[in-house]
Amino acid sequence: MKKLMNAPGNFVDEALDGLTMANPSIVRDGENGRVIRRAEGARKGKVGIASGGGSGHLPLFTGYVGQGLLDTCSIGNVFEGPNVGSCMDAIKLADGGRGVLRLYGNYGGDRMNFDMAGEMLEDEIRTTTVLGTDDIASASPEESAKRRGVAGIVYAYKIAGAKAETGADLDEVTATAAKAVAATRTIGVALAPCQVPGSAKPTFTLGENEIEMGMGIHGEPGIWRNTLTSADEIADEMLDRLLAEAPQNAGSEVSILVNGLGATPLEELFILYRHASRKLAAADLTIVQPLVGNFVTSMEMAGASISLCFLDEELKSLLAAPAYCPFWRVG
Amino acid sequence: MSTFAVKDVKAIVSKAAAAMVELEQELNAADAKLGDGDTGGMLARVISAIDTAAAASDEDVGACFSAYAKAAAVATGSSLGTLFATALMTFAKSTKGQEAVPLSELAPLLAKARDAMMARGGATLGDKTVLDAIDAVARALEGVGDPQEAKRLAVEATQAALLEFRGRPNKIGRARMFADQTIGLDDPGMLAFAELCKAVA
Repeated sequence: MKKLMNAPGNFVDEALDGLTMANPSIVRDGENGRVIRRAEGARKGKVGIASGGGSGHLPLFTGYVGQGLLDTCSIGNVFEGPNVGSCMDAIKLADGGRGVLRLYGNYGGDRMNFDMAGEMLEDEIRTTTVLGTDDIASASPEESAKRRGVAGIVYAYKIAGAKAETGADLDEVTATAAKAVAATRTIGVALAPCQVPGSAKPTFTLGENEIEMGMGIHGEPGIWRNTLTSADEIADEMLDRLLAEAPQNAGSEVSILVNGLGATPLEELFILYRHASRKLAAADLTIVQPLVGNFVTSMEMAGASISLCFLDEELKSLLAAPAYCPFWRVG
Repeated sequence: MSTFAVKDVKAIVSKAAAAMVELEQELNAADAKLGDGDTGGMLARVISAIDTAAAASDEDVGACFSAYAKAAAVATGSSLGTLFATALMTFAKSTKGQEAVPLSELAPLLAKARDAMMARGGATLGDKTVLDAIDAVARALEGVGDPQEAKRLAVEATQAALLEFRGRPNKIGRARMFADQTIGLDDPGMLAFAELCKAVA
């Protein structure tokens, strides 16, 4: 797989340089330059929100640092969690004196490093943790706490970020973030693989006419693999699986995110959205603030994910609150 | 009684770093079947980083392991890499201030590292992870003080662990979701530990 890069070892740092040079609202910081923070720094008196994860998923993770979203984000190498030092830096740089919510996907490396960072800083900064667990293909409903965070974590960022901007305290922001996670479900499909810079081979292989349902955002194996069918049939199955797992208390309003994994044209995402919107209407669900685009990618993986965030009045108003980051503007 | 000192630790790490050149793609391929395909690249980078880390002292084995732990923790945040850093930190604490560590201490050191990695990562023995290979070596080296015998037993124990677990499912991480499909495959962390034991023996 061809890539525009210089040396594989410089891939992440050079991308972060370009990201911040093109977007003056965010800057690189931290001992190893592996934290992205708001240019104006932590706001005194506001609960901080720190996230983090591996590179290779832009706009996730570093792209969502901004007003009404994240305060800081630690970033690791491609598909690797950020190291302990960067997690500590992200927490410290997010702290405005009222504590920091650590909000990230449920991956082993991220969890170990954020846990260690939190332990090392526990005398200085109060922290809480909420893990994104929206990928329904990554564990059964009985083990939903083991699910990984994928594209649906964007809803948690937006909703928790808006709550923090209201001046809410750490417990309130934490509870709201947890509520957003509990309201969100995602499933993805892959049509073609991705390749880590420096690796000799793609992470996985898929036949020319094959599709894999439920594949993870690093190419982790999914639920089934079969011949590619029509977009409507694929959207049908994805939505059937998501709706079958709707939260018990779900109301009639839902936000939908049709997300591209990196190498899928926007046209194809809109074809999926077209069918999804009809299907949700047929299920008596009203769509609020639909999102279609590349929000959480996997390098050059072709494919898409669909996320549903089931809204109540509070989540709906927080989702609509103004927010700004390099890749997303609301209000 | 045979011992090991800083120079022995450094020699083993340099051998491991050299071996990773060959092993990198093999381990990436093994990981791609179960995870995200980067175990080889990550370990190559981490072992190279610790190989070039400057130890605070040439006399203190603990200081050497401490420098290695820090270098590993800076080089990656991946789960296996963080567990590796955890193991090195455990070694560092246990050998602090020692100029020569009796080889018979290696088994209890590995057992301590195994326990620290379990506490950090949440896996248990039998889940088919690197822990099962480390546990096998810790048990095989109990009371062993001869370097040649230790090397032979470590290689034997890791190969036996690979063979034993190849026929069993992965019980943790994403791979547990398709556990039946993991039967017949080697866990990439366990394979890495086994191949590195072979390379440095």
